[in-house]
Amino acid sequence: MADVIEVGAARDDAPPPAANAARRGASAGRTGRATPYLFLAPYLVLFGVFGLLPIVLGIWLSVHQWDFQLPNRPFIGLDNYKDLFSSDSAIYGDWWESVRATAIFTVLSVPLLVVVPLGLALLLNRSFPGRTFFRAIYFAPYVLGVAVIGLLWRFLLDANLGLVNRLAGAVGLPADTPWVTNMPWAWISLVGVTVWWTSGFNAVIYLAGLQDISPELYEAARMDGANAWQRFRNVTLPGLRPVLLFVITTTVLASANMFGQSFLITQGAPGTETRTVVWFIVEEGLRDNDAGRAAAMSIVFALMLAVVSIANFRLFRYKED
Amino acid sequence: MTTPTPTTRGSATALRRVVLYATLLALALIFLMPLVWMVITSLKTYTAAQQIPPSWLPNPLAGYGYEQILNNSANPVLRWFLNSMLAATLHSLLVLVTASMAAYALARLRFRGRGVSFALIVGTLFIPPTSLIIPNFLIVDQLNWIDTLAVVVVPGAASAFGVFFLRQFFLSLPNELEEAATLDGANQWQIFFRVVLPLSKPALATLAVLSFLTNWNDFLWPIFVLFSPDKLTLPPGLGLLQGSYVTDYPVIMAGAVLASLPVLILFVLAQRHIIQGVSRSGLKG
Amino acid sequence: MIQNDMSRRRLLGLGLGLGAAASLTLAGCGGGDSSSGPAAGNGGKEYTGPKVDLKLWNGFTGGDGDIFKTLVNQFNTEHKNIAVSVATYQWEDYYNKLPGAASSGNGPDIAVMHMDQLATFAARGVITELDDVAKNLELAEGDFAPTVWKGGLYNNKRYGIPLDMHPLGFYYNKAVMQKAGLDPNKPPTTKDEYVAALAELKKAGVQGFWVSPFQFTGGMTFYSLLNQWGGTLFDADVAKATFNSDPAVEACTWLVDMIKQGYSPANVGQDADYLAFKSGKNAFTWNGIWQINDLKKSPEVQWGVAPLPQIGSKPAAWANSHNFTIVKQRANDANKVSGAKVFINWLSEHSLDWAKGGQVPARKAVREGAEFKALPEISSLAPELEYAAFPPAAPGLGEVMTTFYNSFNEAALGKKSPKQALDDGVAKANKQLEDNRKKYGS
Repeated sequence: MADVIEVGAARDDAPPPAANAARRGASAGRTGRATPYLFLAPYLVLFGVFGLLPIVLGIWLSVHQWDFQLPNRPFIGLDNYKDLFSSDSAIYGDWWESVRATAIFTVLSVPLLVVVPLGLALLLNRSFPGRTFFRAIYFAPYVLGVAVIGLLWRFLLDANLGLVNRLAGAVGLPADTPWVTNMPWAWISLVGVTVWWTSGFNAVIYLAGLQDISPELYEAARMDGANAWQRFRNVTLPGLRPVLLFVITTTVLASANMFGQSFLITQGAPGTETRTVVWFIVEEGLRDNDAGRAAAMSIVFALMLAVVSIANFRLFRYKED
Repeated sequence: MTTPTPTTRGSATALRRVVLYATLLALALIFLMPLVWMVITSLKTYTAAQQIPPSWLPNPLAGYGYEQILNNSANPVLRWFLNSMLAATLHSLLVLVTASMAAYALARLRFRGRGVSFALIVGTLFIPPTSLIIPNFLIVDQLNWIDTLAVVVVPGAASAFGVFFLRQFFLSLPNELEEAATLDGANQWQIFFRVVLPLSKPALATLAVLSFLTNWNDFLWPIFVLFSPDKLTLPPGLGLLQGSYVTDYPVIMAGAVLASLPVLILFVLAQRHIIQGVSRSGLKG
Repeated sequence: MIQNDMSRRRLLGLGLGLGAAASLTLAGCGGGDSSSGPAAGNGGKEYTGPKVDLKLWNGFTGGDGDIFKTLVNQFNTEHKNIAVSVATYQWEDYYNKLPGAASSGNGPDIAVMHMDQLATFAARGVITELDDVAKNLELAEGDFAPTVWKGGLYNNKRYGIPLDMHPLGFYYNKAVMQKAGLDPNKPPTTKDEYVAALAELKKAGVQGFWVSPFQFTGGMTFYSLLNQWGGTLFDADVAKATFNSDPAVEACTWLVDMIKQGYSPANVGQDADYLAFKSGKNAFTWNGIWQINDLKKSPEVQWGVAPLPQIGSKPAAWANSHNFTIVKQRANDANKVSGAKVFINWLSEHSLDWAKGGQVPARKAVREGAEFKALPEISSLAPELEYAAFPPAAPGLGEVMTTFYNSFNEAALGKKSPKQALDDGVAKANKQLEDNRKKYGS
């Protein structure tokens, strides 16, 4: 896996900043052999206790019928996993519906969450009076927690009473769109709210990345007669590639982990069509007290995400060639 | 396209500027509208906020929401705010220290087990933290951390995000500076503290802000592990402001405004450092 | 320092053997140790021991919370050796965090719970038996609605002392009725009157009765109608779901047809039905008794409240009940348990004051007193208690109820026909019930 991931950053065709990555490590070895481990140690302690141990515990839970409180927590082997894949179990339908919901949301939201913030970052990377002001505005929604934005948008998007439909009506659009209760509107709302809410987050990462692209490269491109699009295509994008890979990876994971928005805004409606995997896992584990089954779902879900992410890295490598 | 050109002047530039500001303003309107609505609602009375169709301006202008928040001893919003601030600050410091050291080792040092450690760490990126809430609960319970500050500061710092993020940045640092430092007899610690960290200020600042906000916005975990009313952080605290059967919009919105303003101001003040920092490319030239 | 060492050692234990670690965590909260339960104290008559501090959790986040706190303060002043401190959480969070809190030793001593949650928490050993308190309070079946009385029992032992009952009521907006030419002092009470009133309202351009697809309040409305049509949610043993029976489908169809006939808009959002009611956009809303206090905060709304109209073949109304429970502790403290019983006893006797929080007191004697009748709106819903349909009690029923409400959601949003939605829901509910049987054994 490590090899796959390094691909995103280690490139040999482009000028700095990333070029030296290939030679990284050349300067190591000056100090004692223990040094790298000492650097790693503080994080590894945290990671071991709160990163790995919960996973191991989770695997252990997943082969039991496990409840916080029930005195009897029998070992049931792979039954929790079998339930996820056998169509006559009580949760089979709900589970796959939640997988579907998560997949739909991820596929719809990730492209927007990658592209829109990039556009914002490019706009905000110019120097002009009021830049700080605009940066703050685009970032502002993210400062609000999901509890607040959920409540706010549920009110704004209400089909019969909400402000959004009122504004739509005022400009001659249909004023009875069921934004949070029917398809495809519920997905449009959830994606739209998420883009509004988190674009500032990705834009900040892009802005940091844009700082690392040397102005000389743009100057050189300009000398060669490259137009704005060509400069974007040949200078900005390659320069942003490590950041882009990072943004795509983390955004895919963030979208796949969506929970608060649909929990608060659509409340899963219609039916349970917008109930996501993470929501379902939390519900199963906390409300319905079946931590074993919830753990099994977490593990299957993590494997699915791993497959997606590896595919994602592969894709980037091919683009590289 | 991303750098302004002082050489070209005249009407073309003026036109571009107009287009730029028009775009920025249109976008700003979209981003701001819901927030403005939040502020308006926070200034309404309880009944006015429930009026259909809602009025654009708070009439009568009421301090009801703010009063409820600041004067009601059952809702120690200030306390929650301080708890959140403290938790998010300590959390982001912890992330900065541990993740930068680990990322440095993984990006720049060669040692046995590097590939395996990195694969393990990045592998956990795929696992939704919320889905491990019960195992994590069992662990913090063993540590006797339930209902303490540590429980909202520490566990989240195990996230692979920071390590992954900084490693990507460290990989892109030029080797020449390090090599020069090595020739001067510096060891890895000196290189890390004197060369790599100063060069990575933008990335560090970005990570600091992002971890701060992740922690600031976390709402499921605190609900599950904080119990005493005076130990709550803002997200579960604001949740209490919502009545069981009716939503008291002015109170919740006032709480949200009070809770988010300081963070927004902080962002405005810090953003120059976050985004600009020390431009690496500039140093290199 | 000692604390730290302890933690490290415990952590090491955790690292060494997961099985051992898990049993460590759970040693304190499992079923075995109920020694302090019934024996402690004298059933809540009095407490004379050393001073105890008691933590009480509830979910009264609305106006009822203030009244509850006032009552607690009064109790604290009257009892020098018992200090009760109150923590309030939203019900939804509350039920999620209570098991973890209790098992980690951070839980409350006294917890307020809905009737339909008692069996689950009793089966899971979170709460303790209270038979002696019931005896001492001289609580008898005749003093309660039978379902409420039975709802506090699990395996023939009492786990909850009912504090109140809160049925669904029928709220009508007098100004809107007047506008449509209806008599604002004669709310409809039968199906014919109800539909006629809706037709009049429609003529006046008002969609009179907004059908919410969500549990609050559409789901609870459907629940009431299902019972009015003579249906049930489950069979007598709560072994099979029955909410796709003919009466259930008819009730659902009638309610969903409100939308088709234009008496309700489609896609009503959460709380939209109630907000529209307050703003005079509709005339009727079927909502909980707790909204009485909320409506009193809005003097410009002219409203009235009455028992639910009888749409089906018999009267019925959704209802639930808040109960006091005592939470099992890691370290048993007989003094705390007897102190807690004194508190429950005291508050149960003061439940008339609690009625001002917007609920009907659970005890008949209090309900029939003159003081209660002097609370006109709340006492006007008391007659409903004769035919109130309380949720059934069985461990793990929470998720099955969610399935029920979700199937109504699909029907109300037009995703499926009522029959289809309820059939699908029942199929799933039956599987869930079977899982519960395996888990809790019965």
